[in-house]
Amino acid sequence: MDGWTGQFLRVDLTTRTFRIETFSEEFANTWIGGRGFAVKILYDELAPGIDPLGPENKLIVAVGPISGIPAPNTGKTIVAAKSPATGGYGDGNLGTRVTDQLRKAGYDALIVEGRAERPTLLSIEDDRVEFLPADEVWGKGTMETNDWIYARYGKGVGVLNIGQGGENMVRFAVVRSLEGRSGGRPGMGAVMGSKLLKAIVVKGSRPIPQAFPVAMKELGRDDLREVHAMDKEMAWSTQGTTGVLPWCNEVAALPVHNFHGTHHPDAWQVDGERVNAARVATYGCPNCTMRCGIGILDDEGRESEVDYENIGLLGPNLDLYDLSQVAALNYLCDDYGLDAISAGGVLGFYADAIERGAVTGDLRFGDIAGMKRVLGLIARREGEIGNLLADGTREAARAFGHGSDAYAMQIKGLEISAYNCKFIPGMALAFGVSPIGAHHKESWIITFEVKQTTRGSYGRDKAQKIVDLQRIRGGLFESIVTCRFPWVELGWGVEHYPTYFNTITGKDWKLEDFWPISDRIYALMKLFWLREHPETDRSADFPPAAWFDPSNADTEGPIAGMILDREQYDGMLAHYYDIRGYDTRGVPTRATLEGLGLGAEAAAAEAFATLR
Amino acid sequence: MTITVKLVGGLIHTIGFSERVLDLPAGTTVAGLLEAIGIDPARPLIVGRSGWAIETDDEVRDGDRILVSPVFSGG
Repeated sequence: MDGWTGQFLRVDLTTRTFRIETFSEEFANTWIGGRGFAVKILYDELAPGIDPLGPENKLIVAVGPISGIPAPNTGKTIVAAKSPATGGYGDGNLGTRVTDQLRKAGYDALIVEGRAERPTLLSIEDDRVEFLPADEVWGKGTMETNDWIYARYGKGVGVLNIGQGGENMVRFAVVRSLEGRSGGRPGMGAVMGSKLLKAIVVKGSRPIPQAFPVAMKELGRDDLREVHAMDKEMAWSTQGTTGVLPWCNEVAALPVHNFHGTHHPDAWQVDGERVNAARVATYGCPNCTMRCGIGILDDEGRESEVDYENIGLLGPNLDLYDLSQVAALNYLCDDYGLDAISAGGVLGFYADAIERGAVTGDLRFGDIAGMKRVLGLIARREGEIGNLLADGTREAARAFGHGSDAYAMQIKGLEISAYNCKFIPGMALAFGVSPIGAHHKESWIITFEVKQTTRGSYGRDKAQKIVDLQRIRGGLFESIVTCRFPWVELGWGVEHYPTYFNTITGKDWKLEDFWPISDRIYALMKLFWLREHPETDRSADFPPAAWFDPSNADTEGPIAGMILDREQYDGMLAHYYDIRGYDTRGVPTRATLEGLGLGAEAAAAEAFATLR
Repeated sequence: MTITVKLVGGLIHTIGFSERVLDLPAGTTVAGLLEAIGIDPARPLIVGRSGWAIETDDEVRDGDRILVSPVFSGG
C-alpha cells in the first residue's frame, strides 16, 4: 500500500503493553489520514459520555500520506482526542519531527490508551516501545523538559510533551513539540496530562513507502525551491503571521479589551514591523519553506516565539501594547503548555467580569504583573480562581453568572481566535460552525468577505465559501496532513497537493475526489458532537451575545454603530446547513450520512440521539 | 489632495515603506495611487478605505487613508 505504512501503533499505559495493528487500503481511501483517521478511530472506540480526562479517553497522534515527505511544508502532525474543553471531538496540528519519525518507525497513527501509574515518557523506536519514568521532569515546564529530552536522545528524534498546564489538566492545555510549536487547542495537552504522559519520543529508521520515490524527490525538491522563492519575493516570512495585525486593526477586526474594541491607536507597537525589528531568532517546522516562527526577547530577557494569534489575544485583548510584556505572557503560555489564544481569552474575560462587577478580584486590563500571576494560578490550578479559570471561559461564566456569558468570548467551549467579528458576519459564521469550537483553522473568510462581497451581507455566497474553505483547510490539509500556509499566504496552488498525493500513493485522484472525504470527516465530527450532546440545537453554532448587542457596537471608526444581526445570522446559518445537508439543529440528516457512506455510524448514533 | 497610504505585511519590505502621506492630483484612482508607489495595479491586492474594500478604478479622495495589503487567506 504505497503512501501509507498500513500500520497503527496502539499503546496501553495502564498495562504498559502495545500492539501493532494493520489497516486496509479501503480504510485509507475512505479516511486518508490525520484528522480522518483520528475522528474515525475515536468515534468507533470511545463510548459516549466518557470523561475526556479519564483513562477511557484516547489520544491519537496521526499523520497523513504526504506528511514528512520532502515537499513544501509537510512537517505537520495531528493530535486528537475527545476534547475536555468542548466535550466533542477535538484536535489540532503542530509542526514536529514526530511527523517523519513516526512514519519511518512504521506507523500512520499512534493510539494511546489508559493511564500510567506514574509520570511516563513513551519512547518509540521502530518496533521497540518503552515506558520510561518521567518523574524527574514532572512539574517542569516544556522548555526544561525539552532540554532534558535533548540531553538523552539528541535532536534528531520527534518529541511531543506537556508542561504544568497539561499535567494539571487545564482544559486548554496544548501539546508542545521540540521545535517550539504547539497544537491541540481543545485541551489535547490536558488529555496527555490525565494519562500521566509527560512526553512522547519517536525515532524511526525505515523508508516511507512511496509509489514513485524518485519522481517525488525531484518534484519535492523543485517545489521546495519554488515556494521558498515565492516567499522571498513576497517577503511574507519577514513578518510571518504577525503581518496581519495592522490589517485587522485597520479594518476593525482586532480583539481589544476582551473583544469590546476592534481597533486601537497603539496597536502598531505590537505589529509585525515591531516584531521583525525585535527578532533574535527564526524558527520553522520540518520541510518548511517560509519559516514563520519569530523569536523575540521578553521583559525578562527570555526568548519567546510569537505569532499573530498569540499577540492579538495576549496584547490588545488585554490592553497590553508593550511587545516585551506580550512576549512574556506568550513565553509563560509556551512553558506552561497552555494555548495562548484561550489563555488570552480567559484572562480578558476575567478582567472584564471584574470590571463589570460580575465577580470580585484585583486583575485589571493592562496589568502585566497581574496577568502573569493569574496565568500561573491557572497553570497550577491554584486557589479557587485558578482552578475555575483552568476550566475555560464557558465554565467561568457559568460560575460568575450575572449575564457574563454574553461576553464570554467562546463557542462550544473553545475561546475565539484573534478576529473580532462584531461586523464580519461570514467570519463569525466560520467560527460558529467550526466543529471543534471557535478555531480559525477550519475556515478563514475575512479577506474574501471584505474584498469580494459586501462586508455586512449575510448571503448564501458566504455560507458556500465557508464550506469550500472547510473542504480545503479542514478536510484536505488536515487529512493528507500538511501546512496550509503556502496556499494561504503565498497563493501556492491547491492543485499541487493531489499531485503530491498521487506521486506518493500511485493513485490518480483529482482535487474534487477529496471533497466527499472532507465532507465525510466533517459529518462524523458533527455526529460525534451529537452523540455527546443529544439535546444540541443550532444555538451551539451561534457566537456570544456581545456580537449581536447594539450597545456593544463601536462608537467610532470603520464600523461605528454596526453590529451583527441575529436574525440574518440565523438565515446565513440555515444556508450553511442546507449546503451541508444538515437538519435545522445543525446535524447531518440520515440521508446525508448515508450518502457519505456513514450509514453504520448513523445507526450507532441513533442509540443515543435522534437523526432526521 | 493629500492621501495617507498604509502598507501591510511583506509589501512594507518589498516597496520600502510602511506608511506615507502623498500629494496626488484630484481624480486619481486607486490604480494611479498604486502606480505612484511602484505597485503594479494588476497585482492581486486588497485595497481598503476606512475598513471597506475599494476597487482599482475607484477614485481616492482628499484625506483618505488607504490600506494596501497582499491577498492572504488567513492564519
